[in-house]
Amino acid sequence: MEYRIEVENLNVHFDELHILKDVSLKIPKNAVTSLIGPSGCGKSTFIRTLNRMNDMISTFKMDGTVLLDGKDIYDPKVDVVDLRKKVGMVFQKPNPFPKSIFDNVAYGLRVHGINDKDILEQKVEESLKSAALWDEVKNILDKSAMGLSGGQQQRLCIARTIAVEPEVILMDEPCSALDPISTTKIEDLIHKLKNDFTIIIVTHNMQQATRVSKHTAFFLHGEIVESGLTEKIFIEPEDKRTEDYITGRFG
Amino acid sequence: MERRYPRIRFQKKLDALKEEVDEMGQATLKAYREAFSTFIDYDAKLVNSVMEANRKVHEMGYQIEHDAMSIIAAEQPVAGDLRFIETSIKVSSHLKRIAGLASNIADIASHLKDEEIPEKPMFDLQRMADIVDGMVSKSLAAFLAKNMNVARELHRDDDKVDDLFDHALKDITKSMFQDKESISYLIYLLFLARFLERIADRAENIGDRTIFMITCEKQQFTIEKKPEE
Repeated sequence: MEYRIEVENLNVHFDELHILKDVSLKIPKNAVTSLIGPSGCGKSTFIRTLNRMNDMISTFKMDGTVLLDGKDIYDPKVDVVDLRKKVGMVFQKPNPFPKSIFDNVAYGLRVHGINDKDILEQKVEESLKSAALWDEVKNILDKSAMGLSGGQQQRLCIARTIAVEPEVILMDEPCSALDPISTTKIEDLIHKLKNDFTIIIVTHNMQQATRVSKHTAFFLHGEIVESGLTEKIFIEPEDKRTEDYITGRFG
Repeated sequence: MERRYPRIRFQKKLDALKEEVDEMGQATLKAYREAFSTFIDYDAKLVNSVMEANRKVHEMGYQIEHDAMSIIAAEQPVAGDLRFIETSIKVSSHLKRIAGLASNIADIASHLKDEEIPEKPMFDLQRMADIVDGMVSKSLAAFLAKNMNVARELHRDDDKVDDLFDHALKDITKSMFQDKESISYLIYLLFLARFLERIADRAENIGDRTIFMITCEKQQFTIEKKPEE
C-alpha cells in the first residue's frame, strides 16, 4: 500500500499539557481515513499538526516526525504556505469569505500568483464542478457567498480547497453543522474526491465513518488505541476500549 | 478512567431481545420433547400441543426479526452489539426450523401409534433423541451465555448423532428386508431418524453462529458424510 502521510512517534504539548502521546499512523494515498474518538482526545490537534496549523499557537511544542510523500514537513526549509497548498483544510462550520462565490474559489489561486482571467474562470468552474456545486451557482457567481445555504457554503469551502490542487484534504467534522440532505451531498462528494485526493476526516458520527472511509483510527486520551480497516474496527474491534466507545458505552 | 455513559435504553432493548430468544428456545425445546414423547407413547393431545407450539414459535420468530430490525433502525448498533442482533435473527430462524421438524415428528407418531417398532433401531433412535435433546439445550445455553466451549462441544455431539443415524439406517433397512409388510410403517422410522439428524444439524448451526458472534471465526463448511458402503 502506498502512503501519502507517515507520522511516527508524534508528541504534542501545549505548555504542560501532553496532548498527543507517541502517535504513529500511516495515511494511505487516495483513500479516506476517519479519525474517531471522544471530545478532547487529540483528533483535531492531530490533523492540525499535518498542515502546521498548530504553529500559530505560542505554547505548541512537538517532537516526532510527520512525513508528506517521504519529506519531513517540520524541516526548517519547508515553506508553510506551500505546505498548506498541498494539505488543504475544511472546517466544522462553513467559513466562506464575505466575497462573491467566484472570488471565494479564486482566492487561493490568486494567493499562489494566478491572475490570468481565463485560467481563473476555468479553474473556478472545474473546482465548483468537482465540489458538485456548479449547477446550483453557475448563474450567480458574482453574488455573495454568504447568501448560500449551509450545505452549499460547505461545498463552496471544499471547492475553494480543491481549487489549489492539494494532495491531501483535512476535514474537521465537515458535516456536523449540516442537515441530513446536505450531509449526504458532502459524503457523496467525499466518495468522488478520494480518487484524486487523500482525505482525512474527523467525525463524531460513527455511521459516517463507516460510510465514507476505508480506514479508521480511534484516538483516546491522546493515544491511538486502534487503527485499521474501517469494516474491521466497526464489526470486530480488537481493543475493548474501541468496542466500548463505538457502541456508546463511554464518551 | 473514562466517564461511563451506558446507553441504558439500548441495553434494555438488547436484554429484551435476548429474553425473547430464550423464550422461543424454551418453547422449541418443549415442543421437541413432547413430539418425541408422543412417538414413544402416543397421545393425541400432545400432538396438538406440538402443532400449536410450532405455530407459536413461528410467531415468536417474526417478532424477534421485527424487534431486531427496530433496534438496528433506532440505535444503529456496531461491533459486538451488531453481531449479537444479527445472530439473534439467525438463531431464531434455526429454532423455527427445529420446531417445524418437531411437528413433523409428532405427525409421524400418529402413523406409528399402532405399530410394533423393532428393538434395534428403536434403541439407536432413543439414544439419538437424548443426544439431540442435549444439543438443543446446549446450543441455546451457549448462545445466551456466549459460551464458546459449550458451542464447540456441539460438533462432537453432532458426530455422535451422525453415527447413530447411520446405524439406524442400516437396521431399519435390514428390518424392511426381513419383513416386507412392515415397509409401509418402517419408512416413517427412516423419516424420524432423518428429522432427528436435521435437528442436530440445526443445533450445531446455532453453536457455529455463536462462535462467529463471539470471535468472527467462520466454521468450516463440511459436506455431509455418505453412509459407509
